Amino acid sequence: MFELLQGLPLFFTPIATIATTLGIVAGLVIGVLPGLGPLMGIVLLLPVAFHLPPIAGVGMLIAIYIGGSAGGSVSAILLRIPGTPIAAATLFDGFPMAQKGRAQDAVGLSMTASTLGGLIGGFFLLFFSPLLAKFALRFAPPEFFGMAILGVLTIAIVSEGSSLKGLLAGGLGLLLATMGTDQFTNAYRFTFGNFNLSSGPHVVSVVVGLFALSEVFFQIESARFLDRPKVQQLRVSFRALRLIVRHKFNLIRSALIGTFFGAIPGTGGDVSAFISYATAKKLAGPGEVYGEGAEGGVVASEAANNGCCGGALIPTLALGIPGDGSTAVLMGALILLGFFPGPELFRNHPEIVGGIFVAYMMGNLIMFLLGIVLAPMFGRALKVPKAWLIPAVLMLSTLGTYALQNSVFDLWVMLVFGALGYVMRRAHYPLAPIIIGMILGDVLESNFRRSLLLSHNGPMIFIERPISAVIIAIDVILLITIIVSTLRASGKRASEDMFSR
Amino acid sequence: MQRFRDSAFDWVAWVIFASVPATIFWQCATTLVDEGVASGGPMENAAFYPEIVASIMTGLLVWLAISLLLGRLRHKTPFTVAEGTGRALVATALFIAYLAVLPYAGFHLATPVLCFLLFRLLSLSMIPAVAGGIGLSLATAFVFQALLHVVLPVGVFGITVFK
Repeated sequence: MFELLQGLPLFFTPIATIATTLGIVAGLVIGVLPGLGPLMGIVLLLPVAFHLPPIAGVGMLIAIYIGGSAGGSVSAILLRIPGTPIAAATLFDGFPMAQKGRAQDAVGLSMTASTLGGLIGGFFLLFFSPLLAKFALRFAPPEFFGMAILGVLTIAIVSEGSSLKGLLAGGLGLLLATMGTDQFTNAYRFTFGNFNLSSGPHVVSVVVGLFALSEVFFQIESARFLDRPKVQQLRVSFRALRLIVRHKFNLIRSALIGTFFGAIPGTGGDVSAFISYATAKKLAGPGEVYGEGAEGGVVASEAANNGCCGGALIPTLALGIPGDGSTAVLMGALILLGFFPGPELFRNHPEIVGGIFVAYMMGNLIMFLLGIVLAPMFGRALKVPKAWLIPAVLMLSTLGTYALQNSVFDLWVMLVFGALGYVMRRAHYPLAPIIIGMILGDVLESNFRRSLLLSHNGPMIFIERPISAVIIAIDVILLITIIVSTLRASGKRASEDMFSR
Repeated sequence: MQRFRDSAFDWVAWVIFASVPATIFWQCATTLVDEGVASGGPMENAAFYPEIVASIMTGLLVWLAISLLLGRLRHKTPFTVAEGTGRALVATALFIAYLAVLPYAGFHLATPVLCFLLFRLLSLSMIPAVAGGIGLSLATAFVFQALLHVVLPVGVFGITVFK
C-alpha cells in the first residue's frame, strides 16, 4: 500500500495519464482486430514507450495489455472470431447473445466484467507482490539462478505445440542473450566482428520481427485484403452495470480463478478463462443455459482473462519471472528503461512500483469508461479492410524499431527474426520462450557464474542452500514432467500409427 | 521421402536451430580461445555457460530429429502455397529493397514508394494507393519525427519534413 502512495504523483502527470488513456484505446482497438492482440499491441508500441518518462511508458504498455485482453471479446461477440485466443471462451455465449439481438449487452457485460476482474486482480497484485518481493529479498545468486530456470521451463511446458520445441525456443533465447560484450570479461562473444552486435541484437528488434513481421507475412498469405465483415452497430449504453449485479458471485469467483492462474508463470488467460467458464457453467442456476447466450458465460471468461493480467504481474514484478509473452515484453521494457523487476525494484524504487500499480488500477477504470463510450468505434474498426492495416502495421514496426537506436541495422535484425518467426510458426514452435529466454538470459548467466564464484564446492551450492534446493527441486520435477509427457505423447502417436496401418 | 515432405518446415526449423549450437561451439573453440576467455574460473571463462546451453540444445535437437525421422510429431508441416503466398514473397522482396535503399534515398523518398507499392499489391486501386502511401508515410513521420523527436534517415538529398 505504501508503494501505491508513492506512485500517485508519478502517475498523475498529464503525460502519464494521457499515455495510459491512449494505451487503453490502442489496446482495445488492437484487441478487437482478429489476429492481433495484447502482445502485438505491446510489441508495436514498445519503441514509442521508450521515448516517454518511465511511468508514462510502462503505464501505456500495461494499458495496452489490459485493453487488448478485454478488446478480443468484441470480435468474438460480433463475428464469432475471438480477437485474441484468451477471448475464445467468450464466444460460446457472447455470439449467441449477439444473434438474439443482444450484442450491446454482451459487449457491455464483457467490458464491465473485464474491468472488475482486472481490479480484483489488481488488489491481489497490490497486496501479494510486495510480500513476495520481501520474501525474495532473501534470495542470493543461486536462488535467482533457480528462479530464472523455472521461468524458462514453465513457459516451455505450457507452450502451444510441443514442450520440446518450447525448450528449444527457450534455449535459442538464452543463447541470443549471450551475444555481445560479456559482462565479466568484457570480451566480445559471437559478434563476428560486427560492431553493431557489440550489445547483442536489440530485444525489441527481435520481438517486433518474431511477432509483428511474421504476422504481416501470414496476413498477406491469407489474402482477402478488401473483405469487410457485416457487424451489428453498437451504441453507447451503461445498462451492463445493472446486469452485472446479477452475476456478482460468478464475477468474483472468475476473477479469483483468473488471478490465481495468471500468477502461475506460463498458464495464461486462455486457460483461466476456460476453467472459470466451465466452473460457472457447472454452478449455473436452472434458468441459465450456457452455450445459448447466457450472460454468466461472458462474465466468467472476461472476468477471468482480465483478472489474469493482475495475477501475471505478481511474479513478473516481485520475482522478475514473466508469466507469459506479454509480461515478458513488459518486463523487457522495464529493464530497458533502467528498472530491473524483482525484489530490488521494490526496495530501491518503490515509487516506480507504485506508479505501475496506479497505472494498472487506473487503466482498468479508464477501460470501463472507454470500452462503453467507444463501443460504436469497435464495429467500424472491424470493417477496416486488411489492405489498409497491413502496411500500417509494417510501417509502425519499422519506424518503431529504427527509433530505438536510429539504426538501420536493427531493421535488418528485425527482418531476419521476421523470417525466423514465420518458419517457427509454420513448424508449430512457440515464439514467447525466445523472448523469455532472451530476457532471463542475463539473469541466468550472471547468477550462475556468481554462484560458482561464491561456492567452495562447485555446483553443490545450488542444493546446499535450503531455498535454492527447493527451487532446483521444482525445476527438476518440471523437467522430468516435460520429458515424461513428451515421451508419452510420442509413444501414443507411435501406437496410433501402428494401429492405423 | 513422404515423411520428409510432410515435415518440411520442421526440418527447415531444425536446420536453423542446429546452426546455433554449432556456431557457439565453433566460436568458443576459435574466437574466444584467441581472446583468451575460453578457460579458467567462472569469472574468466566466457565460453563455459554458452557451451552448457548449446550442449543442452544439441541433446534436444537430437531428440527432435529422432522424433521427426520416426514421424512422431503431432503436426504435419509441409510446404504449402496459399492464395497470397506469391504476394507475401513480393512484399518481402519490396521490404528488403526498401531497407537497402533507405540510408541513401532517405525516409521521405523511400517510404511513400514502399507504402504505395504495398497498397497496390494488396489490391487497392491507384488513387487510394497513392493517397494512402503519402498519408501513411507522413502520419508515421509526424508521430516519430515531430512528436517523439526521432531523427529519420535523410538520405543523400537531406530531405526532412517535420523538424
